[in-house]
Amino acid sequence: MTLLDFARGPGFFIAFVILIAGILWRTSGLLLLRWRRNLAKPRIPGPVAAVAGGLRAVAMRSVPPHELEKNITFQHFTGYAWHIGWFVTFLFLGAHLPFIRSILGFGWPNLPNGILLVITAITLGILLTLYIRRLFHPVLRVITDMDDHISVLLTILPLVTGIAAFAHWSAFGLRYEKVLAIHLLSVEALMVWLPFGKIFHCVTGLLTRFRLGATFIRRGVRA
Amino acid sequence: MTPADSALGEFEIRVKELEALAPPVTLSDEERVSRAKQVMLEKLDSHTAMDLETCVHCGMCAEACHFYESTQDPKYTPIHKAYLLRKVYRRELSPVRLLNKLFLREITAKQLDEWTELAFNSCTECGRCDLMCPMGIHISRAISITREALGAAGAAPAELRAVEYEQVTKDTLFGVGAKQLTQTIEELRARGLDIPLDKPTAEVMLLTTAVDLVLYKETLAATAKILNALKVSWTLQSCGFEAANFGMLSGHLRGQALESQRIIDAAIACGAKIVITPECGHAYPALRWEAANDLGKPLPFDVMAISEYVGREIRSGRLKVHPIDGPRKVTYQDPCKIGRHGGVFEEPRAALKALGVELHEMESHGKTQYCCGGGGGVFLIDAAEPLRRRTFEIKQHQVDETGADALVTTCNTCRLSLSSAGRKVNWNTPIESLVELVAANLADTP
Repeated sequence: MTLLDFARGPGFFIAFVILIAGILWRTSGLLLLRWRRNLAKPRIPGPVAAVAGGLRAVAMRSVPPHELEKNITFQHFTGYAWHIGWFVTFLFLGAHLPFIRSILGFGWPNLPNGILLVITAITLGILLTLYIRRLFHPVLRVITDMDDHISVLLTILPLVTGIAAFAHWSAFGLRYEKVLAIHLLSVEALMVWLPFGKIFHCVTGLLTRFRLGATFIRRGVRA
Repeated sequence: MTPADSALGEFEIRVKELEALAPPVTLSDEERVSRAKQVMLEKLDSHTAMDLETCVHCGMCAEACHFYESTQDPKYTPIHKAYLLRKVYRRELSPVRLLNKLFLREITAKQLDEWTELAFNSCTECGRCDLMCPMGIHISRAISITREALGAAGAAPAELRAVEYEQVTKDTLFGVGAKQLTQTIEELRARGLDIPLDKPTAEVMLLTTAVDLVLYKETLAATAKILNALKVSWTLQSCGFEAANFGMLSGHLRGQALESQRIIDAAIACGAKIVITPECGHAYPALRWEAANDLGKPLPFDVMAISEYVGREIRSGRLKVHPIDGPRKVTYQDPCKIGRHGGVFEEPRAALKALGVELHEMESHGKTQYCCGGGGGVFLIDAAEPLRRRTFEIKQHQVDETGADALVTTCNTCRLSLSSAGRKVNWNTPIESLVELVAANLADTP
């Protein structure tokens, strides 16, 4: 079995199982912890208000009020930009679509490779910039831990190895098949890490927004 | 020096003496750590756990915090203030705790002491960070649990422990109790004001605070005037008049429940349908949002902040005011605990509108309002004084930008903090009570 065969077969299967089992384990572990019943009389009562408040927070948290947003503009926009770039690359690269079709049973048109190359390069540039910023910004230095370094590395690697595979680079004497296998393994490493590190926010992020919105609307505050 | 300045000066001296009155902490380091962890693990629920798991360490919350903004010191990053809670959660309760234990050490007594500055001195629990977090993490809740854990470990600031101890053991605050309440009421009655005390039955039970009895008697008089104008059946109860809850501010959970229980018992005894909290920020959430959960059952009455009650009565037409004389530009300070934590935004503004003042809002107002710098008990903490001065600069700038002639608020801590800090830099913008402004302009008053 070649490295590429492993990455395409058992490697992917193992990563997928860890991804799903890990997400289920961590999510159910969180949901099974104690839920407190709030006995204070709500200012805005009823489940409809709670859901509306929660959904409002889910939608509007990405657009904070100006007086808050003006202090975080750079990080705010670059943060959303790289996320969008990463997912556009993943979902619309021609080379990815056969794989997506094989999983989902359907697909969609791809974007031109030239455009995606630019998007990927910009995404990579932003990620590297934000990582360097993390290493030097006083606030980020205080709150950064090993999880951040691992998560950033594993988010960047698929982009770097993807560009290498796309461009048919053969650095260090590696053949295309090896580079492609490394690209797939980098994605699988990300899948394995996702349930254990901070990238898990992709599972819980909208839930925490919803819960905060529902909590605050009980008090009459649109959060 | 005005009498008000003199009274404020005397009060500040009394505050400085608090530290020496704190009960000694006799726990060993092991006991302190154990107690802190016990509280954290009891208080952690699914909501807070998910919050702690979801933080992406973006640091944006720092930019919402007035302590960080005014000092640029990264240790004041809000989520960092909840670091000990996160650490205990990740080691003891997280679904991936076995993995986490490989990398995380136990919290230590030294860390508990270090976090006193972060969770108490430099956090007013204003909740502005809650509105900034892109993940929607309820950061102020996590810091509140941290405070409770530190409180259990004897790591709350000495000033707060002293006041809390006094409130629990003597049922007085700053030496002010039922006796001083009666004296003040007699004083106000001598001016012709009708103030009912200990009526056996009443529809409305009013609370007041030691701070009002010492410094802001006119606010109590104004509140009485308004309630009398509304012709409601109301009373103060000497066995449960104190609205301030130093159990909540010092992180002492049993004290918090006890102090709420005194009010609840008094309200039940007189059959009150509404309990009104005075112009005291934290008193409102302590009773409105926390008490039912502290005591495990819904409250048998409604709780309203006085500004909320007054605004509601003005909007309904039951309370009539006349516009104040001449043009007047004011700005309104939303107390964090009544606004961002309480949802009372419209009622005070309705009252100001009825008074015909020109309201010039600060850039950050309503739910994004900056704290006065002294909330959450921080006003009493001597070591936090330099920090309060720095945060005051933000507020001063925001108020000055409005061009307002006066700042109106509905919280005695806001008044105290801003007056005290303002006096030190000769900032002369008057700071007024909303209730006093309304009472001075009642339509029925000759």
